[in-house]
Amino acid sequence: MDAAAEALLRQTVRRIPSSKLNGVLGRWGCLSEAQLGSLESMQPKWLLCDNLISLCRENDLSMKHVAEVEMLYCIENPKRGMWYAYQMVETDDEAQSLELMHFRERFKAHLKDLIGHVSIKLKRHQDESVWIRIAWGDNFNRPNHLKPTYVMHHLQTPYVFVSGLTNKHKPLLFQALVLAAGYSSIKNAHLNGRCITALRDLLMRQYKQVFPSSCPKPLKESNPLPNPNIENEHAKLVEHKQRAAAEAFGYEDPPKLERATYKLETKYREHGNESLNGRDEPFRGVVKFTSSNLLESLKYCITSGMASTPLTPLLSSITQKGRNYFVIRDKGPSIASDTLGPDH
Amino acid sequence: MEAQKSATMTPRTNVASGRRSLGFEKTNLRYTPGQLTALRIPTSRRKPNTRNDIDPEQLAYIANIEWKLSYVTPLYKFRHTQLVLYSKQLSAFIVAEKQKGIAVEVGPEMGFKVVFSVVLGMTETDEDAETVFIKICSKPAFAVEGSAVKVVWSGWFTCVNGNLDYMRSLPSDFVSLPLFCTNGPESITALVKSWFTRMFDCYFGPLSLNSSILQWLGALWTECHPASNIRYLKLAWNLPTLPPLDISYTVHPQDAWNLWSSIRQNDSMEDGISIEEVRRFMKGLESHFFRHFRMHLSAGMLTRICTSLGSAHCDGTIKITGTQYITPVLMLLTECAQLKMPI
Repeated sequence: MDAAAEALLRQTVRRIPSSKLNGVLGRWGCLSEAQLGSLESMQPKWLLCDNLISLCRENDLSMKHVAEVEMLYCIENPKRGMWYAYQMVETDDEAQSLELMHFRERFKAHLKDLIGHVSIKLKRHQDESVWIRIAWGDNFNRPNHLKPTYVMHHLQTPYVFVSGLTNKHKPLLFQALVLAAGYSSIKNAHLNGRCITALRDLLMRQYKQVFPSSCPKPLKESNPLPNPNIENEHAKLVEHKQRAAAEAFGYEDPPKLERATYKLETKYREHGNESLNGRDEPFRGVVKFTSSNLLESLKYCITSGMASTPLTPLLSSITQKGRNYFVIRDKGPSIASDTLGPDH
Repeated sequence: MEAQKSATMTPRTNVASGRRSLGFEKTNLRYTPGQLTALRIPTSRRKPNTRNDIDPEQLAYIANIEWKLSYVTPLYKFRHTQLVLYSKQLSAFIVAEKQKGIAVEVGPEMGFKVVFSVVLGMTETDEDAETVFIKICSKPAFAVEGSAVKVVWSGWFTCVNGNLDYMRSLPSDFVSLPLFCTNGPESITALVKSWFTRMFDCYFGPLSLNSSILQWLGALWTECHPASNIRYLKLAWNLPTLPPLDISYTVHPQDAWNLWSSIRQNDSMEDGISIEEVRRFMKGLESHFFRHFRMHLSAGMLTRICTSLGSAHCDGTIKITGTQYITPVLMLLTECAQLKMPI
């Protein structure tokens, strides 16, 4: 148990809430029943941490073991910063029948070929996802376990979710991934967010868009003079809006995204501004939507009438294409409708 | 030295005679709600001009810092010649409050120094009172000779192109410096305000910026683009959805200027900008947004406007980076502050 392992253990314990700590340590399996019992309900946390470190010394645990407890917690609670989605392309047949053991060996071998000092851990989660934890080092430094890169991948799918990756290590990781999974290249899927399950659901179409046959009735306000005709019209309108919102973003609990970005490269086309309308150059700009739950906010926009129906394809593309970054260009010189720009 | 210099710059308004009395007791001032019928935000403004006559060293204290805005009613018997005395008095006041046990974050065991100074030339008319700048620096207990002092709090009172009718209507002995900008811990701001309230019988209130002011700022800054690249024009709205939705729209500077100049060229006002043009400019941006997203930005609130020349937030904070265009911005803010004055 060296200083680096101790620092990582302290950081990890600090991050885990007290209520979850005993569970995580139990699943870790590096401490005996008696040792776990002695840690139970020990307060405050720093005291627990000191005792935990002395127990680890007793059991002769090393960085390898400490990294494991960090990874265990991260897999169960993957809310650490932004996750970015990538898509591997041009598969060979082999990718369809790849097994975990095989993938693990090939990935480790390829990455270690590319960079000497690197520490890799691979684990399969209950939901069949494969989690990879990489601590990077270089020729002069040992792997930095305090800032690891996490990768989540489902075998037999082209999607990879990455968090905590620097530009320096990006090509190394991508090359190892592509070679190990049997693809020829990898591209940005233009989707990011803090909630990895939402990203996965959006990309793998696991998220069900429900088309309800009946809508829940809007709340009736007590009105002293009810007018059945007005109410009827109003109810119809509300139902129409709710259906439009549900068709675009699902009926309940849409996947949790934080932002969507649109790069506008369309021409300016408004009435009464001939000098700009005649120009060939686009009117450039970037529009960003941010919310703690973006799709929920957009749904609210539609149902409350802040956004007009029919809903623009630009917004519904978030769920339909599983992306939250778009480049918008005019389709052709004379066509008025907008088009979503090509991938790049 | 400081006092002598500022003596010459004390506005003549303070000693001018024969003005109409407002007919209220000055103690009533703080209880009067901010209602004013005589003052209005003008519907047109002059085009921003560059200014070079303000001391760059003094401007450096103001530039690149995010200021929290407040308005303040006219100061009774404030003298630009007494700044040295005020420095000592405010300093003593803070020490006294500290001894009373009120938490002041000047530093645990450190001494501090209060400095009042005048920023010369930050005026438009002869009747504008000169800007007063206050700096509170911490003095470490074991300071090395010549080591840099840390500014823990700063604030300034200003009046740029204040409404002449209003200023002339004030009784003598009142100095109108309606805009108060602060940067630093809230606790010190509160202390400084309470000292001013007691000393000069004035009243402070928060100054928020409504969307019309933000739109003016956006247009004024965009107008500067050919002379000084604004790099971007960023507008941000907040929509009252559940959960709240923030929308930001960053426009390419050249395209923003093209839109602005296409609106400007139709108008005959050569060196003025009218509110109509500002509205059309914002409408033009909003309708381009609407064509893509079919969302009504008018359902929400314009919260922020930024260019590389400065940024302003609706909650009443402002940062000025392009100091050569500081006067039009301060003129606008002075107007806002004066609108809050009780009459």
